Amino acid sequence: MDTFLTEKNRAVRRAVRSFCDDEIRPIAGEIDREASFPWQVVEKMGKLGYFGIQVPRELGGAGLDSMSYVIVIEELSSACAGLGLCVTVHNSVAVFPILGFGNDEQKQKWIPPLARGEKIGAFCLTEPNAGSDAAGLEATAIRQGDHYTINANKVFVTNGGVADICLIFARTDPEAGTKGISVVVAERGTPGFVVGDLEDLCGMRANPVTSIRLYDCAVPLKNLIGEEGMGLKIGLAALDIGRTGIAAQAVGIAQAALEEAVKYSRQRRQFGVPIAKHQAIAMMIADMATQVDAARLMVYRSATLRDQGRPFSQASAMAKLFASETSTKVTDMAVQVHGGYGYSRLYPVERYYRDARVTRIYEGTSEIHRMVISKGILGA
Amino acid sequence: MKNKAMESNKTIVCIKPVVLSASGAKARSADSYGLNPFDRPALEVALQLKQKRGGTVTVLAMGPKPSAFVLNEAMAMGADAGVLLCDPALAGSDTLATSTALGTAIQHLSPFDLILFGTRSSDSDTGHVGPQTAVLLDLPLVTGVCAVETLENGLRVERRIDDFRETYELPFPAVLTIQPGSVRPRDIGLLEMAPAFEEKELIKWSLKDLGLSPGRVGEPGSATAVISLSKVQRTKTCDFLSGSKEEQVEELLSRLLSSGLL
Repeated sequence: MDTFLTEKNRAVRRAVRSFCDDEIRPIAGEIDREASFPWQVVEKMGKLGYFGIQVPRELGGAGLDSMSYVIVIEELSSACAGLGLCVTVHNSVAVFPILGFGNDEQKQKWIPPLARGEKIGAFCLTEPNAGSDAAGLEATAIRQGDHYTINANKVFVTNGGVADICLIFARTDPEAGTKGISVVVAERGTPGFVVGDLEDLCGMRANPVTSIRLYDCAVPLKNLIGEEGMGLKIGLAALDIGRTGIAAQAVGIAQAALEEAVKYSRQRRQFGVPIAKHQAIAMMIADMATQVDAARLMVYRSATLRDQGRPFSQASAMAKLFASETSTKVTDMAVQVHGGYGYSRLYPVERYYRDARVTRIYEGTSEIHRMVISKGILGA
Repeated sequence: MKNKAMESNKTIVCIKPVVLSASGAKARSADSYGLNPFDRPALEVALQLKQKRGGTVTVLAMGPKPSAFVLNEAMAMGADAGVLLCDPALAGSDTLATSTALGTAIQHLSPFDLILFGTRSSDSDTGHVGPQTAVLLDLPLVTGVCAVETLENGLRVERRIDDFRETYELPFPAVLTIQPGSVRPRDIGLLEMAPAFEEKELIKWSLKDLGLSPGRVGEPGSATAVISLSKVQRTKTCDFLSGSKEEQVEELLSRLLSSGLL
């Protein structure tokens, strides 16, 4: 598997794995149970470059390639998927739109603190009535003098409880349909900017997912990213990158589940032998390993295409679809290998099982991905 | 030697790419190696000294090409440059031949004022190389150092032996081996990864570059040779006691008494 990786990629993996072993794995179960965001660890991660993985070095980032990015997300997510989620959303759909479509002033202002993890980013697209149908969003950003007056009700915002810099998708021209959607940066603390309660979720509980509501929130016109009407284009470009990250996250969770299943099947004895000696279990392990391997290859292909500057949208969609579905299958099998103990909080596989489930839903459901992929094959 | 080594504030840290898993004749790749965990504290001490007094940190290793990445990793921790001694004739070097090669390379890296080693390696565990290199270079040496303080033209260092604390003052240039528990090595972050692999200098030196004859290193230059290597067969066994709890306790007590453990 590592054949495709450069020495730098491998060093990135070793560094992240070592950090996870020391700092994250020991607390992962606890922060899941308590639904708490590990600020202390996050501050360390900020200083080590985890919040600016692909940000150019001159803007305070690590300046790494996409392959390194997916490796970081994979490793983090194998230790704590909620923290992996924080980092992938921040790096892809929050930082990338500013980096890719922002002007110099915007980049100088927002990117360095984002890259150092001093400010956390969020991507605010989903609304109660606009999820898969992003074009159906109802938020408005109306030009008034030197500012936009934003009214928005954004839900299921990853990092919502800790985010300082939020990309708000809203209609700047309510009459123009999808061409009237724009993306504007709203900073936490602006009057009218309200963070909702923590969502009580099934998995990813270390991530402070909340709603974010803006009531007549006045945001300077200069906070517009790109041009008015470019919102959907920017959002979709960011999601192409984000999807590869979610796919990497799904692979990380599945890898963790596989490793636990292998370990447990060697320890647990039934009928006088370790259960790994039973063909039924051994076959499950083989299927799990094969599927994780295939999913990882798809993620690495998507990252490689992006590193080569080639189109990767279809590869990213396929990787996300396959890896997320693999992750739910593999974590389910890991619970099965553990039997009754797999259904208990004594072992981490129940957490992987819960965490994996949402990877089929967020940043585009499996169904939306099948639509996207089929359009790529059959035409619109 | 001592005259050449001026007040350069250059620290050289000798690090070892250790073999992670002995797998017989299997070809070794980068995955077979890792940076010796006992060398990380030495590197950390060097980096902390650099923060205090400026200067540079050069990491020096000997090993085959696939092991070069340990130098990149050390540079990702903060070292400024890396040097790999790499030559087929170095294969089979014992600790004396290794010290000869490292000592010669260190002379090529003059001027320097401090050379640091870990106390030992995780794969061969001899603890010879630091002291031998110091002797070959005719430099003052303190082993097992747990605290370092810089003086105007030298160091005050501390080492602990059982319940005693020894303090030494020694002039530059000097050699120290660093006690592994004395300092927590920093995490390797992502920020320095790109410079470590793409910008910082990694020099590869062969024996020719060092002006060293093949007879002084490898098997010909070694004073010792490993005759055989075999896995230790562990003889520990595990007995499960049976019967009621009371019977099990009785049985356990009688076994502990008869074995002299109680």
